[in-house]
Amino acid sequence: MALLEYALIGGILYGIFFSLVGIGLNLIFGVMRIINLAHGQFIMLGGFGAYMLARGMGLNPLFGIPLAIAGGIVIGYPLYYGVVPRLQKSQDPEMLSFILFFGIAQMIEAVAVFAFGADQRSLPQDALGSGNIGVLGQEFPDSWWVACLVSVLAMLGLYLYFSRTRLGFATRAIMADRDEARATGIDVDRVSAIALIIGIALAGIAGVFVPYLIGSVSSSIGDGLTTTSFAIIIIGSLGNPLGTVVGGLVFGVGTMLMQTYYSSWSNLAPYALLLAIVLVRPSGLLGRAVRRA
Amino acid sequence: MRRPFQRAWTACAAGLLASGLALSAAAAQTAPSEIKIGTLYASSGAFAVPSQSQLQGLKYWAAGVNRSGGVFVKAFDKKIPVKIVAYDDQSSTATATTLYSQLVTQDHVNILMADFGSVLTSVAIPIAAEHHMLLIDPTGSGANFFTRKTNYLADISIPTSAVWPRVLGDFILAHKIKRVAIIYDSNDFDASQATTLKATLEKGGVKPVYDHGVPTSESNYTVLIHTIAASHPDAVVEFGYALNDIAFFHALSGSGLHFKMTFSIFPGQLLALLEKNVGTKALAYTFTYPVPPLVVYDKTNLGPNTGTFVKAWTAATKSAPNALDTAGFNTGLIMQHMLGTAPTFTQLAFHQALIDMSGKTTTLLGEFKINENGAQLGEQLPVAQVVPEGKGLKFVIVYPPNKATGKAIYPAPRN
Repeated sequence: MALLEYALIGGILYGIFFSLVGIGLNLIFGVMRIINLAHGQFIMLGGFGAYMLARGMGLNPLFGIPLAIAGGIVIGYPLYYGVVPRLQKSQDPEMLSFILFFGIAQMIEAVAVFAFGADQRSLPQDALGSGNIGVLGQEFPDSWWVACLVSVLAMLGLYLYFSRTRLGFATRAIMADRDEARATGIDVDRVSAIALIIGIALAGIAGVFVPYLIGSVSSSIGDGLTTTSFAIIIIGSLGNPLGTVVGGLVFGVGTMLMQTYYSSWSNLAPYALLLAIVLVRPSGLLGRAVRRA
Repeated sequence: MRRPFQRAWTACAAGLLASGLALSAAAAQTAPSEIKIGTLYASSGAFAVPSQSQLQGLKYWAAGVNRSGGVFVKAFDKKIPVKIVAYDDQSSTATATTLYSQLVTQDHVNILMADFGSVLTSVAIPIAAEHHMLLIDPTGSGANFFTRKTNYLADISIPTSAVWPRVLGDFILAHKIKRVAIIYDSNDFDASQATTLKATLEKGGVKPVYDHGVPTSESNYTVLIHTIAASHPDAVVEFGYALNDIAFFHALSGSGLHFKMTFSIFPGQLLALLEKNVGTKALAYTFTYPVPPLVVYDKTNLGPNTGTFVKAWTAATKSAPNALDTAGFNTGLIMQHMLGTAPTFTQLAFHQALIDMSGKTTTLLGEFKINENGAQLGEQLPVAQVVPEGKGLKFVIVYPPNKATGKAIYPAPRN
């Protein structure tokens, strides 16, 4: 019973963090209908940003969060205006974005190998606290709780952005129908650029905690994280950022239960769940309708 | 009158036949302008660090032989320069499969050498066998590679996992440790390490209290360590690659849990990488297999001894060699001897040359001894403990007793 409790609580913490890992990808897809295959690489850059701050400048890795936001602006703004409007004008923006962002992912990875090498990098273990915090008698490292807290705050911020701000309303309108939103006078490009910035920044923020949750950061972790993020957002609901939270929880709890009882198959769990959920509910757990391409 | 005439004809025909055979043999064995050694390396991915080190060691060897005019090839009775043809497999077995084929069918390399480790070696074995090429396998030790007789596989610089972990099993039994947990990656290398260890322990009456595989890509051990702790082990043996070891030690040090003995493979091979990632405190009192140059061989009959190699390497590269640098260099040495003794320039002759030197050769990795299945039975590794020394760590060989440089600290103190 204690093992089950530990796996469930661990799975919830892990899952909340992985909701943050996936949410940026879903936001970008929901708003722009583009598939950001470089998502994992942006997470990786966030990890390296925190690494440089912690190891190079002696700062707490949490300073990586404002750095990730700044990085989101610096990368997202020119990336949007340089690429996305052109993609939107094409016959098949989803497929073209797939190819384009695959190229961007490869470029980022190559630059990261050049800049940081191919080896693994970790952050100081005690930078986010050296103890353990217990819930229902089950203790987890401080770093897990901090990652979980930041993830919740980031997703809460996103929720408030959607539900309380004019920009958020406009973003939702674009997610519902891009052309109609444009017809009502919404500056679609400006709102979409901000959504891309937020998506990349969220990925970067998740990257800050990657060394704590998956052991280390290296230049080659991007593709795996993109694949995992895809599984999570499809489980939740493609195009619905808040569905990602549900997808993350299903992924986290599923993975930890498998690690506890059938560890050899633990990395199969998210994909088996994905298959099962897509067969039963093709639109994902929180999807209301099949999306329009 | 007729007899001498007949004899003359016979002699003439025999002479013509002999010279014809000699000519065709010479044509078949025209000396190449360079000996092409085809191999792969990983510039990225899970195996990048050890793979690049292994290639670095090979390049260091090749640079050395080329400075002296090349490698001596007995089949042509002359020295020929060595050229390394190396492609990047990015730690992917799918990419490696294509690239190994390319080395054989497009580049027509003279010698095929595998990338680091069992995962990336596993896909080379069938390709080499299909093309009747001897696969020089530096560090792929998966026991299932060596289950039948072959002329096309030779494990050069690391013992097969079918015998390698026996010393660890003996150590555990000698210390009367009854409760052992084994967690291993589900790949050829780590799974066969676990199988051999379990067999050794079971012979001594010890059945593991926890025995589970995890995916090779496993990167989060927090819940796994907690599950292991629930089985109340005295010793926890984690068989994984460097990436797994980093994640394992991170999770262990963050968990607040402590075991009397913790064993892991890669602190003995890539200590600097592990230390950089998890810190000295997390590694203190861990047990491992120390691989040369951490284990020193003073007497060799092929190539430099460990001390000479370390000095020369350090002078040339301004950094100390690690285990994989040494393995890459040793593989070059063995190939050099193979080319220097094989009477013909054929894959079968290369293989026979390796068999002939088996059991008679000692290099900086110890005794070179392969069996007919290609498995390395020599180069045995002891068990060592990583012990704090000042601000750093040092290795103390603790088993077997005839190689020990100190006593094991068991139970390990809590850090």
